[in-house]
Amino acid sequence: MRVDVRALGACNRLAEQGAKQAAGALSDLTGTDLAVEVTGASVASGEDLAESFAGRESIGVSVGLRGGLDGEAVLAFDAVNADALLSLLPGGGSMERSAVTEVGNIALGGFLDGWANYLGKAIDMTPPRYFEADGAAVLPDGALAGDGVFLFESRLDATTTDLDFSIYMLPDSGPFRDLIVGKTAPAATAGGEANGGTTSTAVPYESLSTFSSLAKEGSANAADNIAMMTGLETSVDVSRLRFVPLADVPAEVGTEPHAGTVFELQGEPSGYLAILFEESSAAAVADAMLPMDPNEPLGDMAENALCELGNVMTSGFIDGWANVLGTTITHSPPEFVHDIGASTISPLVAKLSERQDYGFVIDTAIRTEGIQARCDVYALPDERELARALDRLSES
Amino acid sequence: MATRVLIADDSEFMRNLLREILEGEFDIVGEAENGVEAVNMYEEHGPDLVMMDIVMPIRDGIEATTEILEDNPDATVIMCTSVGQEEKMKAAIKAGAEGYITKPFQKPNVLDAIGSAV
Repeated sequence: MRVDVRALGACNRLAEQGAKQAAGALSDLTGTDLAVEVTGASVASGEDLAESFAGRESIGVSVGLRGGLDGEAVLAFDAVNADALLSLLPGGGSMERSAVTEVGNIALGGFLDGWANYLGKAIDMTPPRYFEADGAAVLPDGALAGDGVFLFESRLDATTTDLDFSIYMLPDSGPFRDLIVGKTAPAATAGGEANGGTTSTAVPYESLSTFSSLAKEGSANAADNIAMMTGLETSVDVSRLRFVPLADVPAEVGTEPHAGTVFELQGEPSGYLAILFEESSAAAVADAMLPMDPNEPLGDMAENALCELGNVMTSGFIDGWANVLGTTITHSPPEFVHDIGASTISPLVAKLSERQDYGFVIDTAIRTEGIQARCDVYALPDERELARALDRLSES
Repeated sequence: MATRVLIADDSEFMRNLLREILEGEFDIVGEAENGVEAVNMYEEHGPDLVMMDIVMPIRDGIEATTEILEDNPDATVIMCTSVGQEEKMKAAIKAGAEGYITKPFQKPNVLDAIGSAV
C-alpha cells in the first residue's frame, strides 16, 4: 500500500476540523474556552507509544466506529483533573461516570461529524465506554500492536484552567486505506516538476515504519553523543514520527525560554533540524561540558559548548538516515538560538512552509540522569525528497 | 394540560439535564436507557413527544423511532444527539423524526425544537 502524503494532509485537516468541533462542544458544555493546540498523525511502534505514556494516569471515554470509518476513538484527560471537570458540569459532581461518559460522547460525536460529512457516509458510533487507564492503555485498541500505525491525536487545552483533553483516533484499514492510499505514480525522480518530471508524494506504508525506526536509531545516537560529551547518563524518552501541519510546530515548542542549535540539512532529504533545551537544561548541560564554571549561565562559553554538542548530535542523528536511505546528507554549521521556544523554531518552519503545508516531524526527547535536563530534537525533512528516498528504500 | 414527554438516552447525566430543562413546563412520563425500553415505554405511556438519543445500546434511536412510528404514525420524535453528521440526520428524518438538536444544548434550543415539533 502506498500512502499519499497529500491525502494524509487532507485527513489531518479533517482531524483538525473535528478537534475544533469537539473543542466547541466541550466549551459549551463546561463554560470554559478550549483551543485546539495540536493535531497530527503519528507513526510509532507500540513500544515507543508505551514509553511515551509511561507514568500517566488517565480517564477516558471510548467509542467504536463503524460505517464510513472503522476503528476506535478515545477522549482522555489526566485523572487528577477529574474533579475540575465535574465541577464545571451542571449536576456533574453527583454523577461522575455518567457525566464524564457523556462529555466524551459529545466531544467524540463532534470530532467525527466532519469526517462523516467529508466522506458522505454515516459513521456509526457504539455507545460510549468509560474507563480508567495507566500509561498507554488509554490508547485505542490496536495502537500498541505492531511496528507502526496511524494514530491521529489532537490536544485541546483550556485557556483559563488546567483542564486539557486529548482525542485519539485509530482508524482500521479498509475505508481509511482508501482515503490515504496513493493513487499517483511512484515517487518522482530528482528534479521533480521543475525539470519536467512528475512529482509524487506517495510513499510505501512499510517504509514509513522503517523511517520511524531510523529516527529512533538517530535519537539513540544523539543521546549517546550527549553522554560522551557531558559524562551524563542519557536515555531516549520519546521518539515518534508525526505528520502535522507545520504551522502547529512552534506552538508545540511552547512559550518557555529555550536554548540550542538549529541546522539546515542538504542532500536527500533536505530540511531542518533543531536541538532545543529548556533554558535551565541548556545551562546545566553546558555546565557539565565545561571544565570550569562559566561566567554567566548561557554566555559565550556555554554557547560554544552547546554548538559543539549540537554538531555531534546532528551528525549522529542523520548519519543513520543517510546510510539506510543510501543518500548523502550534510548539515550546515550550527546556529545558536536562545529565545522563547516558539521563536527558536519559527524561522525553520517559515522556510519549509514555502514548499509544503504539512511535514513529517520526528520528535525525540532525550533525558539526562543526575541533573534535570531534557532535550527535544525536531527534524523537519522536505516531504517530497523524503518520499523519493523512502520509495527507493522500498524498492532496494 | 402539559405536553407529556418521554426521554430516551443511555446517559443518566443527559437524562437528568433534560429533565431539569423540561420539568415545570412539561410532564415527564418516563426515562428510557435504550431503544428497546423507549419502544416499550412509548407503548405503555403514549407520550405526546419523545426526546430520543441516537447512539444507545441494545437498539439505537433511529431503529427505535422507526419501530414506534410503524405502530404509531402520529408519534412525535425529536432526535437529541451528539452526532451532527448529515447522513445520520438524513437517516433520522427518513425514520420519521420531526427534528433534531445537537448536544450540548441550552434550554432555548430544546424549547425551540419542541415548539416547532409539537
